[in-house]
Amino acid sequence: MSKKIPIEGWMLLPTIAFLAVLSIYPFIYLIRMSFMEFSRVPDRPSQFIGVKNWANMIRDPLIVHSWIVTIKYYVTSLCLQIVLGTILALLIYRTKALQGVIAPMISAPMFLAPVLVGLLWRLLLDPSYGAYFYWMNRLGFFHFLEKIGFSNVKSVFGSNSLALPALIVINTWQWTPLIMLIVLAGLTAIPRELVEAASIDGASSLQRIRFVVFPLLKSTFIVALLIRTMDLIRFFTVIFVTTAGGPADATKILAMRIYENAFSFYKLGYASTLGVTLLGITIFLGIAFVRVISRGEAA
Amino acid sequence: MFLEQIKEKMVKVGAAIILIALVVWFVFPLFWMFLCSFKSPQQMYSLPPIFFFKPTLANYSEMIFRRDIFHFFFNSLICAGISTIIALTLGSLGGYALARARIPRKQDIAFWMITTRMAPIAVVLLPFFLIFLSLRILYTLTALVIVYTSFNLPFATWLLWGFFEGTPLEIEEAALCDGCSKFGVFRKIALPLITPGLVTTAILCFMFAWNDFMFASVFTTRQTMTLPVIASNYMAAKRAIPWGQVTATGSFVFIPILLGGILIRRYFITGLTLGAIK
Repeated sequence: MSKKIPIEGWMLLPTIAFLAVLSIYPFIYLIRMSFMEFSRVPDRPSQFIGVKNWANMIRDPLIVHSWIVTIKYYVTSLCLQIVLGTILALLIYRTKALQGVIAPMISAPMFLAPVLVGLLWRLLLDPSYGAYFYWMNRLGFFHFLEKIGFSNVKSVFGSNSLALPALIVINTWQWTPLIMLIVLAGLTAIPRELVEAASIDGASSLQRIRFVVFPLLKSTFIVALLIRTMDLIRFFTVIFVTTAGGPADATKILAMRIYENAFSFYKLGYASTLGVTLLGITIFLGIAFVRVISRGEAA
Repeated sequence: MFLEQIKEKMVKVGAAIILIALVVWFVFPLFWMFLCSFKSPQQMYSLPPIFFFKPTLANYSEMIFRRDIFHFFFNSLICAGISTIIALTLGSLGGYALARARIPRKQDIAFWMITTRMAPIAVVLLPFFLIFLSLRILYTLTALVIVYTSFNLPFATWLLWGFFEGTPLEIEEAALCDGCSKFGVFRKIALPLITPGLVTTAILCFMFAWNDFMFASVFTTRQTMTLPVIASNYMAAKRAIPWGQVTATGSFVFIPILLGGILIRRYFITGLTLGAIK
């Protein structure tokens, strides 16, 4: 038990008060909304309909579809980012000079506003004048994709087979640097003696990485995993700006569907139901996050 | 022996090539955005894509003089700035209290704060939309400041709590013995000690608010729009999208944050992983 200075907790009060108003109240409001049906006609008030929204959600095939898309998007993005980020970190952690120059350059995409990320990639992948589209076409990339089974390769965001992979690539482009930086921090925390001892014992580079470095990086990977999990589930700005969930719902992750139900269909009650569900799952994952981290610190 | 050396060299060269390719992969789109902001529409649409051309400032002058971009720049600045100031002020007070005072159920409070960072944006939009509607502040900057504060405040409190925990108690105890008031200790000793932490938190809070699009697009209208919303408005264009202006707007949005990020690069990871990695 560390010593504490006897200061009244009053300094925390303004924060708690603000947050109570700004987060607890809306949250309760949201839950209440999930049991209601909102009408589009201004004169008719909203009605309390009990668990009808919840019953509908469980039986709704569109929601199941959205969950599938969300999981596909999430798992693929996460795997790609962790692999690529780790490779990058391993490539540059030996040289301090490299780190100082390369890491900031690679990190730049993280600072660009998501809406601009979406718009920028729309520019790059536009079938008529996009630079990336043009070069990929010249290299025969789309022809190759068609050969291995992708359909509709005339455009990227308008293609029901290419849209989701494109979004995964974009998300990887923007957030792999975060993984790289996290793994880099973990790598530099490993004492050199351990790795040197292994190489003296005759281990090759790859063996050193597999048997010494990776086990020590376990908690680092977990942090990276959970930070990205929370963000991948929540954010849909890039999707909104590039495909808006299309074509034909191919990219309609749950977060996008919540927005659509609320602001396109004005089914605020149903959207609230979906929202509470998504929030619940995210909080559940967040509990895991806090628990793993605090266990890591206690160890 | 010789074969070993050749193999090693080849691995090194291979690694270097991969690294260079990856750096280009990450940096090129940003470079392209900046480059395109100096292109005329003809240059923008020409294929193959051109790298060397006579640049024009027409896009920037259009944004500055005809589209009044500084008006929206200041909207962004006000919303991001005020919410950051509030978050820093209350967050440093709260973070200090959490680090130093005996507060019951600290874990629960901490967890509650972190959950506000986890709420899906679509989920937060709904109740706020209805609440603002009934309070009749829906399309004002005030509404946006409130929303930004709702996620920046817990984030700042959490981060600053971590930074305060990292400072030694002895200096503060000594000051208390010397007759300094408790608040004085906070103001004159603890706060200056975590100046890098304050700067990091400030820049990250500012960045999240500045880059936000979803909240801004729902809660603003003509006069109160922020930069990200302006950028996306062009997508609704009936005829060809004026990419020159979109990319020019992109520069206005990106460059301040890039500069801020460079400033805090040492603490960036600590900030983004909520202090889990230092």
